[in-house]
Amino acid sequence: MRSNTPHIIREFDEAFLSLGGKVSTMAGQTRINLERSIQGLLNRDIDLCRAVIADDADVDETEREIDAEGLDILMRYHPVASDLRKVISSMKVAANLERISDHAVNIAKRAKKMISRPLVSEAKLIEPVYSLADALLRDAVAAYIDSDSGLGASLKLRDKELDKADKRTTARLSELLEEGGENAELFLHLVFVVRSLERVGDLAVNIGEDAVFLDLAEDIRYRRKAAVAIVKEHPVGNADEDPVQPGQEGDEGERAGESTGSGNE
Amino acid sequence: MHEMVQTLEETASTEVSQAAIEVADVDFCYGRSRALKDISLKVPKGEIIAFIGPSGCGKSTLLRCFNRMNDLVPGARVTKGEIHVNGVEIHQPGVDPVELRRRVGMVFQKSNPFPRTIYENVAYGPRLAGPVEKSDLDDVVEGALRGAALWDEVKDRLDESAFGLSGGQQQRLCIARTIAVKPEIVLMDEPCSALDPVATAKVEELILELKKDYTIVVVTHNMQQATRISDLTAFFYLGELVEFDRTSAIFTSPKRQETEDYVTGRFG
Repeated sequence: MRSNTPHIIREFDEAFLSLGGKVSTMAGQTRINLERSIQGLLNRDIDLCRAVIADDADVDETEREIDAEGLDILMRYHPVASDLRKVISSMKVAANLERISDHAVNIAKRAKKMISRPLVSEAKLIEPVYSLADALLRDAVAAYIDSDSGLGASLKLRDKELDKADKRTTARLSELLEEGGENAELFLHLVFVVRSLERVGDLAVNIGEDAVFLDLAEDIRYRRKAAVAIVKEHPVGNADEDPVQPGQEGDEGERAGESTGSGNE
Repeated sequence: MHEMVQTLEETASTEVSQAAIEVADVDFCYGRSRALKDISLKVPKGEIIAFIGPSGCGKSTLLRCFNRMNDLVPGARVTKGEIHVNGVEIHQPGVDPVELRRRVGMVFQKSNPFPRTIYENVAYGPRLAGPVEKSDLDDVVEGALRGAALWDEVKDRLDESAFGLSGGQQQRLCIARTIAVKPEIVLMDEPCSALDPVATAKVEELILELKKDYTIVVVTHNMQQATRISDLTAFFYLGELVEFDRTSAIFTSPKRQETEDYVTGRFG
């Protein structure tokens, strides 16, 4: 439950506005970084790759500012209920965005190494994986900003599609690796790029879970059935495709960062 | 009276007797003004319950209904419904309000020690109950002062005036005076609103300690205090009970919009 009524203390609303604005800014920075890392790789643009690596510092700084503002709100206003969830989820979303930006840096660093070698057509294999990861990230940010629990919970279910694309692409690249040859190192870089994109999807799912917590005060981590129930109760606006696929309802998922690690390599 | 109450308690239904206080469909009026509207709630035994809400919402009025303190206000009366304390309907004929107030003690917003010594303040209640040996009375006074976490601070000056104590100590003395007569329920009406943060912390710690032996109902305007000390929280607004739930639920995910707006500081 949220309220549109302003706080009696006006500064409280201003602090919240600032915090929300910073999370939106950070989400934009992160998404642009990810997009530029892929463009740098596919277009062999080393300057773009360097920009991604340099701009990650801005994302890190925004995360620090969000944490500081969140701490300040906790200290000054002792928020409860939806206000408390807003502060906690903002800080958690910021941590997830920072890790996504780290993956963009990983991709940019590998792209820099690949650019020094001749182009391989198999680089295009990552495009569909990136499209899926970016769509998850875009919707995760939208779910958080709009407190849209249906959209947030749907990410947990849609991530399966990215996982499948990851497995399919990694299997193809592994085949090429096994064949050996002078491009083996490039295929290995691409395997790691795909892995980073898969991790971006997992982190987007985490943000979606934070959006659900923000909206409904419900913790759906490790609870796929709960996500299914929320999606059914709060249908996603763009319901052209049903995010709940047969066979998914009883499958409890694992979270990004809990078992397979992430962050800068 | 006490025997009568015990008999009634024995015959009370199991469901009612599980609640220290059960309020059913209560209306309360000051003259023609309806201060409480159709209030129903159960206060479980051995829990701390916080009553919150803006000024004039009826929370103190309801608190004072539990030991019929409102009887002392001209024109004030329960006009509908029932209030059971440990299974006994407290308005039925034969219920002695004085005995009721011994069993349902009360601590007020401002500490109000008698103009007597520290010892006499605590001994006053037990003496009223009947003749008691000096040595037994000493034990009761010490037990009550220990229970109120005040013994170590006053044991060497029991014969000094209670007015020589600090505000926080005076409030704890009032709590000692309340528990000296061994009540079953303790009502507290903004017990810390006149205290500094250190004295407030000591009283809050004491309230949590008293939970082992008593059911406690606290009226507070301090949201943080409600979250720190209470197990359950009831939110009142304009004489109505808007929401009553576990404190953790009220302050993390309230179900009613009015509760959300009040606890988050959007009106009051």
